[in-house]
Amino acid sequence: MAEGLRALRRRYVEVLRDVSLSVSRGERVAVIGESGSGKTTLLKVVLGLLRPMKGEVVVLGHRIYEIPERERWKVTRRIGYVPQDPFRALNPRLKVADIIAEPLSRLNLSESEKEERVRAAVKMVQLHESVLDYYPSRLSGGMMQRALIARAVVHEPELLLLDEPTSALDVSTQAQVISLLNAIQEKLNCAMVTVTHDLAAAQYLADRAVILHKGVVVEEGSFSEIVRNPKSDHARVLLASYTLGVSEGPLAPLGAT
Amino acid sequence: MVLAVEAKRLSVGYEELEELLWAVRGVSFEVREGEAFCIVGESGSGKSTVASAIAGILPPHAVTEGELRVGGRLVVKGNERDYEGVRGHLVTYVPQSPGASLNPYLEIGDQFYYVLNNLYGLSRKEAREKARTYLEMAGLDPGAVLDRYPHELSGGMLQRAAIALALSTGAKILVADEPTSSLDAHLRLQIVQLLKRLRSEVGLTLIFITHDMLLAGVLSERIAVMYAGHLVEVGPTKEVLRKPLHPYTSMLIECVPVLGVKRPLKAYAGEPPNLSEAGRGCPFYDRCPFRLEACASEIPPVKEVGESYYVACWLY
Amino acid sequence: MNASRARFNSAVGFLDLARRAWKRSARLRVGAFLVGVVVFMAVLGPHVAPHPSDGWGVVPRNAAERAGKPPCPEFPFGTDNLGRDVLSRVLVGARLALVQITLVVSVSLALGLLVGVCAAYYKGPVEALLNYVAEVFLALPALVVALALRLALGQGLHIVVASLILSWWPWYARSSYIYARAVVEMEYVLLARLAGVPARTVLFRHVLANVAPPVLVQAITDLGSVLLEASAINFLGIGLPPDAPDWGVIVQNGFRYIVSMPWVSMFPGAFILITALGFSLVGDSLREELDPKMRRRWKLWF
Repeated sequence: MAEGLRALRRRYVEVLRDVSLSVSRGERVAVIGESGSGKTTLLKVVLGLLRPMKGEVVVLGHRIYEIPERERWKVTRRIGYVPQDPFRALNPRLKVADIIAEPLSRLNLSESEKEERVRAAVKMVQLHESVLDYYPSRLSGGMMQRALIARAVVHEPELLLLDEPTSALDVSTQAQVISLLNAIQEKLNCAMVTVTHDLAAAQYLADRAVILHKGVVVEEGSFSEIVRNPKSDHARVLLASYTLGVSEGPLAPLGAT
Repeated sequence: MVLAVEAKRLSVGYEELEELLWAVRGVSFEVREGEAFCIVGESGSGKSTVASAIAGILPPHAVTEGELRVGGRLVVKGNERDYEGVRGHLVTYVPQSPGASLNPYLEIGDQFYYVLNNLYGLSRKEAREKARTYLEMAGLDPGAVLDRYPHELSGGMLQRAAIALALSTGAKILVADEPTSSLDAHLRLQIVQLLKRLRSEVGLTLIFITHDMLLAGVLSERIAVMYAGHLVEVGPTKEVLRKPLHPYTSMLIECVPVLGVKRPLKAYAGEPPNLSEAGRGCPFYDRCPFRLEACASEIPPVKEVGESYYVACWLY
Repeated sequence: MNASRARFNSAVGFLDLARRAWKRSARLRVGAFLVGVVVFMAVLGPHVAPHPSDGWGVVPRNAAERAGKPPCPEFPFGTDNLGRDVLSRVLVGARLALVQITLVVSVSLALGLLVGVCAAYYKGPVEALLNYVAEVFLALPALVVALALRLALGQGLHIVVASLILSWWPWYARSSYIYARAVVEMEYVLLARLAGVPARTVLFRHVLANVAPPVLVQAITDLGSVLLEASAINFLGIGLPPDAPDWGVIVQNGFRYIVSMPWVSMFPGAFILITALGFSLVGDSLREELDPKMRRRWKLWF
């Protein structure tokens, strides 16, 4: 079991309420929410950065908040986390090779083993090896995103956490990144949790969706269930915004044509 | 038939670090009065620059070539630009992030006053009246908004207020940069409905930029597709989306994740080129599945393939 | 998309910064030339000085006939009231000038960076304590500290250097703290912590590496300012003794004879100015290179 939480809140301002989520190894789940829905808070809780006021958080088999903060890295290092903004997630003073290799530092690997893993990771994200010698300033948006993904998978994590993996990308790059994320997930058979506001992209990255609205889970289930039979008002509004009234043509959503 | 916007071989460049980079290369298109026209493209396509050129907000260090007419008036000729009486009077602009056009230190009512006073010399009372009219038109309650500061309003309200402010200038051409991209999903539908309503109520010519093909399909009558500064296809939206002629347009459509439809997403290799990498020949050459020999050495000319429908591709 | 790429440019290393600025900025080249001249003087001065013993402050035997000569072929900068060749004194003084400012700035910088970065990284009580200490030192003017040290420890180089270090380090601490606060919130720091990278490594590899360049640029400009302050302390006689081969001291020697022998104060004074100007130009153009927002987008005549 990769992850599980129960009811939880934050101090003073209730950011998440009664949220339960469990993801098993090999599963792909999407957490859908707008800004202010609590999805970022949820991520922080799973990463061991924010202790909930109530409830249980079990990550990779460990009750993560019962471990002292200094030791939590022993659990978090088995997670692969891809943050939202590549500009803030890449140290501009380090070469791409060093950035990608960083998660390997605590494993007892020889230099050549590390190098091999880094090369393999770069290949998995369809970047050319020459990128390894670059500094982040030379990378385009799509390349930066891939470098981040490479870093997140170089140590073969059991859980992959993605924060808005496609939002900052061009449409054509989005499709590339979505397919490579799926390929990686299949290869590693890890649990993949995508946090995003883009419902349409999420359907390609997950089999199951959990919709958050103002800190509460308003809907969950498979995509086809949600699309065909939305149970909550918020889900209905969300779906409407993806159709914008279109019911035919090549871009018609919701199963038309 | 009066043309709201007419561009003839318009090129716009920026001087960056002693180098001249062309963001827009020789684009020609027309926008009819009262039409809803959409410009789509990815990063580096030049769509924002074209929008800035139409709205009259190109930075002083920009370099231009060709001609641009807005509302019948010549605003760009070669490297000379004159937007006097056009900017703010004939054409107005709504930027991407809601409220970016609103001064954070002024109450909404005051902002209307400063704009209207500057353009038409209106008094505070007159400006307030006008503000009421337009805020209501944009679906806002003037009482709740006029005395507030931008940070007190929600994203959706800000976007409406920005639109109201833009319209209050009396301009009939509205240029909107990604009008729905920074909005939460539930607001998107509202803004689309608002824009549709305003078009019919006010007779607005709407020119908007987006990367969202679905939005383009819903809101526009004609669509222009840009890639690496070039205009590759422009024509009636329904036709272009149903049967795209240019390979890039088909790629764009195929890459869009559509909700509820589990068709496989086609992933095309490569990325849009950046401004400094201008080669000879068609800019889409590297990624095009239908490459011909001619494509590598010469830029395809624009050909008319239907009524108001143009494509720039050697395939035609 | 291209605008966002520019966001990274400013944060790359110091040497790349310097290289880019050199190509672009005439001011940097002028400043570097001035600094180069002074460094040259510092290194070779005592060896090329025509009257080296004069340079070191020793009064020559034929002092009476030599004293108070205006600039002439034999003594290009003239002689002072004790007959010492001013040119030699200025040449020897360059070395001491550079030693003082290098010591002061490097120690203050190191101390300030460490304090600022630790305060931002560890937060909580550590942050509060370090900031408080820095604030206390920030309030001390170098001159007052110098006086106090002089009374306690007597004259010498250590007075000048110590008083300046004590009053300058908090500026770097504050500067580093502000930059570090932003860096510490960056996701690359979080990613490193999640991966188990030890705190010390994170501090050096991620935080310090990104905080140092802008602070370093500030330090370069400060070299000039420190020289002015150090010269002032020496001029007032609080720092180095009256015979020391220091520009500030020489200015002081010539002060009483400012009307009859202006060249004695003028020449060392001019060199203080040149040095400060040189560092200021270098620092300024580096800073402009660092901050793309300040770069001019249109061509002016200069």
